[in-house]
Amino acid sequence: MAVSAAKTVTSLIRLLRIGAGSVLPGTVADRIQPQMLSLLCRQVKYGVIIIAGTNGKTTTSLLLRTMLERHDRRIAHNDTGANLENGLITALLDNTDLAGNLNADYAILEVDENVLPKVLPKIQPKYILCLNLFRDQLDRYGEVDTISQRWQGVIAQLPSETAVILNGDDPTLSHLGQQLPQRVLFFGLSEPEQYLEEIPHAVDSIYCPKCGHPLEYEGVYLSHQGDFHCPSCGFTKSKLDIDSREWPQVLIGIYNKYNTLAAVLAAQQIGIDQGTILDTIKNFQAAFGRAEELHVGGKHVRILLSKNPVGMNETIRAVNQIKEAGKASTTLMVLNDQTPDGTDVSWIWDVDTEKLVALGGTLVVSGDRVYDMALRLRYSQMEGDQATKLIVKEDLQEAIATALEHTAADETLHIVPTYSAMLEVRELLTGRKIL
Amino acid sequence: MTNHQLTIGWLYPNLMSTYGDRGNVICLRQRAQWRGYEVQVMPLDQQASVADIHKVDVLVGGGAQDRQQEIVMRDLRGAKAEALREKIEAGMPGVFTCGSPQLLGHYYEPALGQRIEGLGLLDMVSKHPGFDARRCIGNVVFEVSASRLAGDLEKMLNSPPVVIGFENHGGRTYLGNVEPLGRVLKGYGNNGEDGTEGAFYRNAIATYSHGPLLPKNPFLADWLIQTALTEKYKMPISLKPLDDALATQAREAMFKRLNVSFPVAAQR
Repeated sequence: MAVSAAKTVTSLIRLLRIGAGSVLPGTVADRIQPQMLSLLCRQVKYGVIIIAGTNGKTTTSLLLRTMLERHDRRIAHNDTGANLENGLITALLDNTDLAGNLNADYAILEVDENVLPKVLPKIQPKYILCLNLFRDQLDRYGEVDTISQRWQGVIAQLPSETAVILNGDDPTLSHLGQQLPQRVLFFGLSEPEQYLEEIPHAVDSIYCPKCGHPLEYEGVYLSHQGDFHCPSCGFTKSKLDIDSREWPQVLIGIYNKYNTLAAVLAAQQIGIDQGTILDTIKNFQAAFGRAEELHVGGKHVRILLSKNPVGMNETIRAVNQIKEAGKASTTLMVLNDQTPDGTDVSWIWDVDTEKLVALGGTLVVSGDRVYDMALRLRYSQMEGDQATKLIVKEDLQEAIATALEHTAADETLHIVPTYSAMLEVRELLTGRKIL
Repeated sequence: MTNHQLTIGWLYPNLMSTYGDRGNVICLRQRAQWRGYEVQVMPLDQQASVADIHKVDVLVGGGAQDRQQEIVMRDLRGAKAEALREKIEAGMPGVFTCGSPQLLGHYYEPALGQRIEGLGLLDMVSKHPGFDARRCIGNVVFEVSASRLAGDLEKMLNSPPVVIGFENHGGRTYLGNVEPLGRVLKGYGNNGEDGTEGAFYRNAIATYSHGPLLPKNPFLADWLIQTALTEKYKMPISLKPLDDALATQAREAMFKRLNVSFPVAAQR
């Protein structure tokens, strides 16, 4: 009865095009039957795969899902980005008939980092993938240390056959994995030539998660992820279960290399053959806004969702490589402060926007907090930088038009939006809503 | 005047910079450099010496997570604590956000674990009411009420100094015998109860308001630079005005959204 009520709500919403269809049915079902999530999860044939982490959930999920689908598996997936409990229920209901039978071989559930401890006991997943843990939306959640402590407590309670796949380059997650009674597999990079020149300022945990002593790094790949050890207590990076040099990556940016490795390691565990995995990587199409490429009015556009300091730093790194190759000169930054973006925009001061400004070109700025972003860029201008043209446009449509005008035919316009801004940008570029 | 030099001391850049607090350092550095002053930014981390602390003209401290705050307090003892105390007592200006004021007070009681003793420079205490208590989160607006500072700023602005920022703190601060920095117009302030925000002692500004604080309230940045140079060179310094149109527009946009009708200018 809960299932049919919720499904009725889903169809009603679709019919009326209200737009909250990705969470409301879940809310209705959960009211009627509080055990809904666990009842649904139990019906997934081969088990549930949880994808958690601050950045990269969507791309990793889509990649793993595509690998599984090419292997003829039927997948339930909360691919709308609704990653709180009611969003998970809605996604599972989508694959359920009116009699309440769920028809899926696997469910891939992207789960918000703060909700994870609450839903894990109900889900009893077969696989858990944790990609990273960065400072994101602290205004909602408090602090990184607190989150990892909660994760550890709850994962340890799961059955011993649960496979936990973690980023071994992330000290917090490496430590978490070393504490768990379950089978733990680590992915990470083994490519010292990719080391950053210095540890970025936006870094959270360079202190030993075990004893609190500063960690020593042989090198850093991204934020606080790298090759590290603690000179005091001997804590060290976990041994990796995959050789990063053996695998190509999807999309651009080193962060997508991590996402690729996480999906590959999970697919290998599930038993997908190497050929299917490689083929999926080669033919991968980006999820919306995640290094997604579009053609607009004869111009090439790439949308690079950036929702926190680490994400934006890595975006700037990828954009700068393209700028240095002479294939881009214009960037559009769109900063919003709506609930999905986080209402606190102070994080832009932890981003090394100086690196974006240093290479010159045209910077167009827009979004709800257009002047905050403009102010950040004004304060990023250093002596000796190449000339930068800063254009401020409150109206997003005008901003996009201006940015396109400044983009030459053989160049790519890079759009760097926060989450809600990405949805607005996409709607304007493609003429339709996606959620 | 161009041979004037300013040393910005930055307390524990890797431990105490939770919410874009680096923006305060960037703002001071750029505004001094744009006026032709020579600027040095000196990180005051675990490796810093007492002599380093004595070289500082203006001090910036940011917010920390509870564990980082403990590491800081373990390091900031003995001669280093004494040097900091001397400098602040002698009138070195500084801006201390979120965790830093807690460090300047008597103590901070975190949600988990033991009370962290502070320097006891400012007569105030901070307590975290527990994980279940609401964090104080949101845009915050306050009018500077600390009398000497308010007077200086009014002279600069020709209007009452209204500060805008963003607060996000679990801890609540209660003032004893120390002047509040301001009177809350929107938001929580020190504890959400008594309408006070921050504290002002000698030339030290303590506040829960990040955002970061200085880029959108450039008159505070200029007051800090001017006070630091005046103290250092023992002569009156007046700063060249800068173009703060973007800061004014950022303030106007937020005041409008918050339905606040005050003088919004970021500059004269």
